[in-house]
Amino acid sequence: MAQEKKFYLTKGGLEKLKKELQDLNSLKISKTKGEVPKIWHSEDLNPEYLSFQEDLSFLESRIMELKYILRNTQLIKPPPKEKQNIVQLGAKVLVEIDGQKDEFEIVGTLEANPTVGKISNESPVGRILLGHKVGDAVLVSSPVKTIYKIKKIKYQTS
Amino acid sequence: MKNIVNFLIEVGKLKKMPRRGWVLRGIKNPETIAAHSFRMSIMAWLLGKKRRLNVNKVIKISLIHDICEVYAGDTTPYHQLHPRNKKERRKLTQKWPRFSKKEKEKFFSEKYKKEHTALKKLIFKLAPTTKKEIESLWLDYERGLTPEGRFVRQVDRVENLLQALEYYKKEKRFAIEPWWIQIEELVDNSTLLEFIKALEKKFC
Repeated sequence: MAQEKKFYLTKGGLEKLKKELQDLNSLKISKTKGEVPKIWHSEDLNPEYLSFQEDLSFLESRIMELKYILRNTQLIKPPPKEKQNIVQLGAKVLVEIDGQKDEFEIVGTLEANPTVGKISNESPVGRILLGHKVGDAVLVSSPVKTIYKIKKIKYQTS
Repeated sequence: MKNIVNFLIEVGKLKKMPRRGWVLRGIKNPETIAAHSFRMSIMAWLLGKKRRLNVNKVIKISLIHDICEVYAGDTTPYHQLHPRNKKERRKLTQKWPRFSKKEKEKFFSEKYKKEHTALKKLIFKLAPTTKKEIESLWLDYERGLTPEGRFVRQVDRVENLLQALEYYKKEKRFAIEPWWIQIEELVDNSTLLEFIKALEKKFC
């Protein structure tokens, strides 16, 4: 975490992280409330204690990470109706690329998982789709020029 | 010690397992899963250092991210299209495969389950601390839980791009376009995007 940054999250994504933090806090309490294995076991360090410590440090680092994210979260909200024909964060976009159809959801970097169609707003394709409308043909230039034709834009209504 | 020996013998099988994507494209003597993880670890180390990430963790994630493939095998997105023969396989790989959101989710969930089960089987007899560490690192990679996990997930794709460019330069036996197209959707890390620009200069 080199610098403070804003984390864009969908409502679902934010709820998931809050729930995870809640669960991890409960787990941490139950772990530290129970019997802590004694440090010394004959002359060596007790392996159970080491395992317990490792567990706790994994837990604590994830808890810290989640708190940092939640402090710097910007919730992705669907735009007003008249602007729902434009690709913005949170949009589900149906595109046609080289005769094939594909579906993307434009999300923040934390929720990005291109394998399930969630692409980051900071990726070259995510960035270039933002601000475009249905019917636009957007050119993505890498060594290969690819045209993304926007067929449909949808927003999750809460 | 016996369990570590057995674990390493199993993991060592990755040194002989070719990466499926290259087999589909008819590459002779393609790189193995272990070879991919090796260079990826170095890449993640050098580039992760520039991002001031926890390099120790980044290297460990890179080393273990594919070990489940000892039992789960290497799956590519083309797998879902069920190519019936060599000719069909070659034809399919000319384009980056596109799927509906539902199909992507189904593929991801099936792959995740299969690989998680394989990982658990592989590390089953290791010491509890090691087992937990490997599983946590793998989950971090799969779900992108921390900056390190998210970073390595993208390094994986960039190493694959570098390998594709090397094979393409040597043999030109397959279409290189799908790599350039997919990388623009998959990567959002600015250091990796800068690295990709450097690859473009070197190879194009």
